[in-house]
Amino acid sequence: MADIIIALIAVILAPIVGGLISGVDRKITARLQSRFGPPILQPFYDVFKLLGKTPMVINSWQVLCAYVYLAASMLCVFLFFMQSDLLLIFFVLTIGAVFLVMGALSTPNSPYSQIGAQRELMQMLTYEPLLILVFVAIAMVTGSFKVSDALAYPKPLLTQLPLIFIVLGYALTIKLRKSPFDISASHHAHQEIVRGVLTEYSGPFLALIEIAHWYEVIFVLALCGLFWATNLFGMLVLLVITYFLEIIVDNVSARMTWRWMLKGALSVGLVLSFINIVWVYTAG
Amino acid sequence: MSILNNWINKGRLKSPWVVHFDCGSCNGCDIEVLACLTPMYDIERFGIINVGNPKHADVLLVTGTVNHRNKHVLKNIYDQMPDPKAVIAIGACGLSGGVFRDAYNVVGGVDKVIPVTAYVPGCPPKPEAIIDGVVTALEEVKKVLGLTA
Amino acid sequence: MLDTLVFCLVVLPFLVGLLHAFVKSHQVRTTIVLVTSVIMALSSLALLAMGTFEAYDISTFIGIDANGLVALCDFVLLFVILYFGFKRKNNLIMGFAGFQILALAYLEFFLMDHTTHVPAIFADSLSLVMVLIISIVGPLIWIYALGYMKHHEEHLKLAKTKQPLFFAFLTLLLGAMNGLVLANNLNWMYFFFEVTGFCSFILISHDKTEIAIRNGERALWMNLLAGASLLMGVILVQRVMGTVSLVEVLSESTTLGAVMLLPLFFMAFAGCGKAAQVPMQSWLLGAMVAPTPVSALLHSSTMVKAGVYIVLRLAPAYVGTPLSSFIALFGAFTFLVTSAMAISQTNGKKILAYSTIANLGLIITCAGINTPAAFTAAMMLIIFHAVSKGLLFLCVGAVQQNIDSLNIEDMRGLYKRMPRTATIMIIGIMSMLLPPFGVLISKWMAIESASVMGGGMLLVVTMLALGSALTVVYWARWAGILMSTPFTERAPAPEQQPFTLRMPLQVLIVMAIVLSIFAPFIYTGLVEPVVALYYATPAFAVSYGTFASKTGIFVTYPVFLLLGLGLFYAMRAAKRMSKKSASEPYLCGVQATENGVAGFRGPLRQIVAPEASNFYLAQYFGENVLTKWVNVIALVLLAATLGGLL
Repeated sequence: MADIIIALIAVILAPIVGGLISGVDRKITARLQSRFGPPILQPFYDVFKLLGKTPMVINSWQVLCAYVYLAASMLCVFLFFMQSDLLLIFFVLTIGAVFLVMGALSTPNSPYSQIGAQRELMQMLTYEPLLILVFVAIAMVTGSFKVSDALAYPKPLLTQLPLIFIVLGYALTIKLRKSPFDISASHHAHQEIVRGVLTEYSGPFLALIEIAHWYEVIFVLALCGLFWATNLFGMLVLLVITYFLEIIVDNVSARMTWRWMLKGALSVGLVLSFINIVWVYTAG
Repeated sequence: MSILNNWINKGRLKSPWVVHFDCGSCNGCDIEVLACLTPMYDIERFGIINVGNPKHADVLLVTGTVNHRNKHVLKNIYDQMPDPKAVIAIGACGLSGGVFRDAYNVVGGVDKVIPVTAYVPGCPPKPEAIIDGVVTALEEVKKVLGLTA
Repeated sequence: MLDTLVFCLVVLPFLVGLLHAFVKSHQVRTTIVLVTSVIMALSSLALLAMGTFEAYDISTFIGIDANGLVALCDFVLLFVILYFGFKRKNNLIMGFAGFQILALAYLEFFLMDHTTHVPAIFADSLSLVMVLIISIVGPLIWIYALGYMKHHEEHLKLAKTKQPLFFAFLTLLLGAMNGLVLANNLNWMYFFFEVTGFCSFILISHDKTEIAIRNGERALWMNLLAGASLLMGVILVQRVMGTVSLVEVLSESTTLGAVMLLPLFFMAFAGCGKAAQVPMQSWLLGAMVAPTPVSALLHSSTMVKAGVYIVLRLAPAYVGTPLSSFIALFGAFTFLVTSAMAISQTNGKKILAYSTIANLGLIITCAGINTPAAFTAAMMLIIFHAVSKGLLFLCVGAVQQNIDSLNIEDMRGLYKRMPRTATIMIIGIMSMLLPPFGVLISKWMAIESASVMGGGMLLVVTMLALGSALTVVYWARWAGILMSTPFTERAPAPEQQPFTLRMPLQVLIVMAIVLSIFAPFIYTGLVEPVVALYYATPAFAVSYGTFASKTGIFVTYPVFLLLGLGLFYAMRAAKRMSKKSASEPYLCGVQATENGVAGFRGPLRQIVAPEASNFYLAQYFGENVLTKWVNVIALVLLAATLGGLL
């Protein structure tokens, strides 16, 4: 029962924290570009504004897809804080991603949206195997796919899975829509101007997707947190460093093509994770 | 419900996303619009973001003279912006057609095709003036929302 | 009672098939199909209700020695195949058939001791599950075929209907399938195995076009190769153990040790061949030229399942051996490469075919991983895959008859033309792709069971991870483009479909959803007993719809509940959209609609409709890029294993 209450609290808090992280992200990004940047609460203003706009859709499927995307992301966070099964959570994450893509594909005659959807699929093709291997590696160390067992593991996972953490970094960058992997849609006024897969979502539905994105940010950060679960301070330091590195990478790199991502990122990620998994296996 | 409405109204004032449409300008005004994004002026301070898609935008910035070829496009883009929305006409050409207003193919100012909320004169206007135009437009929006009282 | 049920399930289809061959009237045929369907479905349920039974001897059949009868039929069948080989001048068919005649003669006349009777049939819940799938999904496809073939022949403008023979073999096939999965005597299993191969040959060549005939011949020789391998396995089993009883093979093979590996390899290879694993995938792909009910029946939901059934059936016999690891590796390899090749396909049926091979590969991987959890995964996958894939095949057939194309690009906006079929198809695709549907439960079990094994399974896990991501790509985009419709205030008017076409679709989609909801009960009721029978401990404890093992938990009901809730709100919100909120796609402001064509104004103010297409990545995943290498690698793998075992 306590699990469920914690998970429910997490589901309520996640968008707030996710929005704040996004605000801080924008502030730091601005500072890195020697700008002043928006207020920390800016993401919330954006989302509330979007919620207040008149709905505008191509067809009803889009509405369905936006809602299901949000529901799946919430479920993902809920299951994670229930300390459920990592692989199950991954599959739930896939529901959201698939519905986002289907919503974008459901728009006839919209070239931007269609291409964005195809690119989003390529991104999924890249990060999905990597994430599964990350979970497999965690399971090989802790002996189980359960989050609870990963939390109970006596040593920080990072000490045994350093390469896997780098692989998770790849997946993280893709999932956070950061350069060089902001291929299907990037954040505001970066490089994708019309916003690819999100082109035809507008107003309240775009707000739903933004909120879902915050949930995903919380989920991937929580995943990173698993790598230093032995004490809270260590976890925080790890998360701050990781996220700061993400922002740096985002700012120093240009967007790459999906071909580069598929060939470069996927193969490097696979090799790194395979080395780490074999290493864990021979050591254990 | 009213709390949510308050937040939404606050958001409307603090997060005007702009989309920029060049109706046939000499690019003078366009450069100045983009100059607003630079670290020098940094309009993101006010939550203003330059988006590339009318479906995500709240404010339409129009530069240049409206002519018979592109008036449909201007109308289409305006129609694709979800309400509530505002339009800012920028530069002498956007306001009235400028020096080209008597040309055979020119319709005139932006307000001949779509309702304009704020006008920013100049040839070209300074970035400060453009930012001021957005602020003026937001004052208009406030009036519409009944927030000035 | 048991006799009657087995008669209804195995012999009756043979007799009805014979009857079909002489029925010209559509009315009579419909009646026969409906009656037989009901009888078979009820018999399979009754068999399930009676529960598992021990090996059981059928000594005589209408006064003739049953084993002798099967052997006789076997020889007749092989000579018929040999005749076809001569007629078509196909050396491969002649060679394999001739080889089998000699081998069978050796087995029957020199090796076997005919004084002791080997019990003919037996059933544990694995067999019962197979019988259920065959006898419920199969007849639904018959019913579908009634409507489909009528339209098909009208379309081809045939002067003389060829349906009697078509239905004869369609019916025969299910009888043979039931016989195969119930057989305990390996000779019987071999006989039924050959019958299914022969039926597929006839059915694939049904349209008698050049390509149909060629693909039919290829299917026949590849199935004969598998059959020859099975026969080799049976001969070796007889030589090693002195019996051909499956039950004894299962119980004693682990104690006999390494001598059993070779016969088991041959039998497993036969299974892989029938399940169209690489490098023998081409016959299943070629089979796509046949009318859709054939594709659905033979090649997705039932017949190829015979192959995985054999591999899975023997899993307890080779548990813990190198052969087992090899099978896992081989299956995972198939899963990976066929998922990759599916991405490059535009032909809907071919995508389904590749996806089928991939899923069979996954089942075989599970058989090879060979832990209680993996065995569970395999059985669950057999059940859920049969329903979902059968459904999708039937959907594609219905779509093909409406839009006259199998290209998925032509299915853009199908929701507008065929809202009912398109919706069913979208849900069907979801059931293959997303949790909490059953297929995903099995995939979850498979990956988790492989990853806790370590060792050689690391490679297997990597391949499963990659393959599973590839799967998402081709399913998600297909479902997405089906939805691609402009705004309509009300749902489009449902399409007109004959009842025989519509009913199987609706029944199957309901089955896909309901079975997934009842997955925990299916596990406790049907899967757990088998696992308990062959392995010491079952892998999962089920409580409140949650699968829990030492290594993970899969919650079904909360996921169902929350997603259902999300879906409910989404539907409500979607319904609330009025004409006011309709908008056109963003086309840089130049969008326009003229005479119902949406697009943009191009030169000379012409309307140009933009076109979009999926990424098919043919340069990476194309058939012509991959097939050669895949076959070479698969052959090397096979040769290495065979060499190792010898």
